[in-house]
Amino acid sequence: MELLCLGLSHKTAPIGVRERLALPAEHQEQLLRKLCTAPAEAMVVSTCNRVEFYLVAADLPRAKATVVEEIHARIGSVSTDHWYEHHGDAALVHLFRVACSLDSMVIGEAQILGQVKEAFELAQRLGAAGGELTRACSAAFTAAKRVRSETGIGRAPVSMASAAVELAEKIFGGLSGKRVLMVGAGEIAELTVKHLSSAGATEIVIANRTLQRAQALASILGAVARPFEELPVLLIAADMVISSTASPTPLFTQETVSPVLKSRRFRPLFMLDIAVPRDIAPDVNQLDGVYAYDLDDIQKVVVENTAVRGAEAEKAEALIAEEIAKFVRARSVRDGVPVLALLRARADQIARAELEKTLSSLGEGLSEKQRRSIESMALAIINKLLHQPTAKLREASLEEGVSRLAGAAAELFGLEETPSSPDPPPAIAQRGRQR
Amino acid sequence: MSHALLSIAFHEYALAGLAYLAYLVRQWKLLPLIGRALVGSGLVLHAIALAAQGVPQGMAQGLSALAFLLLFILLALDLRYRMPVIGAFLTPIAVAVLVPGLLTHGGPALPNSVRRPLLPLHISIALLGLAAFAVATGVAVMYLLLDRQMKGKRFGMLFSRLPSLGFLDELNRRLVVWGFIALSVTLITGAYFASGIQGVYWVWQSKEIATLVAWALFAGLLTARVFAGWQGRRVAMLTMAGFCLLLVSFFSHYPIPYDVGLR
Repeated sequence: MELLCLGLSHKTAPIGVRERLALPAEHQEQLLRKLCTAPAEAMVVSTCNRVEFYLVAADLPRAKATVVEEIHARIGSVSTDHWYEHHGDAALVHLFRVACSLDSMVIGEAQILGQVKEAFELAQRLGAAGGELTRACSAAFTAAKRVRSETGIGRAPVSMASAAVELAEKIFGGLSGKRVLMVGAGEIAELTVKHLSSAGATEIVIANRTLQRAQALASILGAVARPFEELPVLLIAADMVISSTASPTPLFTQETVSPVLKSRRFRPLFMLDIAVPRDIAPDVNQLDGVYAYDLDDIQKVVVENTAVRGAEAEKAEALIAEEIAKFVRARSVRDGVPVLALLRARADQIARAELEKTLSSLGEGLSEKQRRSIESMALAIINKLLHQPTAKLREASLEEGVSRLAGAAAELFGLEETPSSPDPPPAIAQRGRQR
Repeated sequence: MSHALLSIAFHEYALAGLAYLAYLVRQWKLLPLIGRALVGSGLVLHAIALAAQGVPQGMAQGLSALAFLLLFILLALDLRYRMPVIGAFLTPIAVAVLVPGLLTHGGPALPNSVRRPLLPLHISIALLGLAAFAVATGVAVMYLLLDRQMKGKRFGMLFSRLPSLGFLDELNRRLVVWGFIALSVTLITGAYFASGIQGVYWVWQSKEIATLVAWALFAGLLTARVFAGWQGRRVAMLTMAGFCLLLVSFFSHYPIPYDVGLR
């Protein structure tokens, strides 16, 4: 069955559209439950920069229609210009690239892998992830692990943090003695704060809805944790605000920010919004001396650094191509006839090994005739046992082309070489290497 | 002789302005060095020419002295902060200020009645204050341009070339403080001369009124800066407004000379 990816990301849709579509967890669950009954395998990846639906179904158009319907019901119509759709192997490549952080706004940021994993786990928990999605995801995760360890792409998010530093320095000149207020926690926010602090920012205050999380992070960053309710007071002392909460409505609006400007003695305020939906309302930027930037704005600064990452990204792409090839190979093993051949070979191999053991333990006492009849018995058992599965598999692969039954058989007999199986049967592992 | 020197200085400034402007586009390290050398040597020649002329008489010489002081401040700032971009913005303006000084020779001699021992001091300080405010205004314009880019999220060439908003604001503060001190001294010495010539300390004429309003504006600006923490955009705009008032005062000082044809 074919994989379909339907989605929008920072590459196709502006932040205004993305934040409207960012589905809260409970909506995702509802949608996934609905799709389970469609019936379809489904996964929803919803992050700051993308909302994507991965679907596998016998009746794909219907599954897709369910998703589109659901979106329209939740947020009204979205211009089709913002959507993209990938089918089959293109969808697979897309999934791999997303998991490997090659499709991220900040290429190489590590958070996306965790987010895709979470999306997959949610789908699994709800029973929406079947064999196809599970295999595709675990292969993508393996690829992501390799990309992270074998290329230098993980160093790239630095460019986003340094873009933030560049902006801050354009406002303040030097950052020494400047105070950072970190609202909410997140990987990129943390990285940005680290960069600001190494650029000279002295005091870091963390305000998080859960104080414990803030305290844990504070001990890492050498910061002070404050209760979330103190935000208006904290804003007075801050020079820079890095916000990345999951709040569905903006925390900072003209109404909340403009009263503190006077108490701040009109010191410039640099605000960076890493959250989607946004934490900082766009009109805050209109306030005198307040410079508010969201992810799209930062990207404009980051774009210049893209070329630097080119080489590492190329390496990662090559690696992904390799992993995709591996996956496709494993899939073709699962599908149809090759499974039969493998099944036969495996059974044959087992029978011969057992025969040898038995015959050698019986020793020289057997006549040639007895020897042959034992041999033929073993092979007859195999043939009889495999007759029905063989016939069914042939039938199924002729009917569907890509057979679910074959996949099941491959899994049942441990015939496939998937990256998730930690200990592939030796015969198959050798096969893989020979190719 | 002094006119020839002035002419050479003028051309050096113009070339320096081009070097600074070129540096905006192409960041060759040699360009600001060329700019600084040209401005520096131009200033030396210009100083000799000014010394030969004596006390500035007439608008042309006043403008010439003003251009000298402007470029002097610019060079000092560039050498102190290594910010050639300031030169790119203000050298062309200084060159433009110098044009009337090149086109005219001397001017009507000052009447004997106003020739007082401290008159050169009064005029020099007045011009120095004006030059400081002119640079402050240039810096304010740079501030507003960068502010617009930062707010509009257009990270173009100006964004990468201009110094930080914080730096520009701080530079504006310093220049306005020094300009304000000079302006205050100018007002006091001016009142002293007025009393000597006209018998009264203060005459309600356009020049005096404009100067006084400008002084009050800058006094208010500095007070708001110190006590209310004003900074940034509104300070930049007020600096520009104050400078415009001073220009009114400056030009109303001199009868518009027919030989320059300014109208």
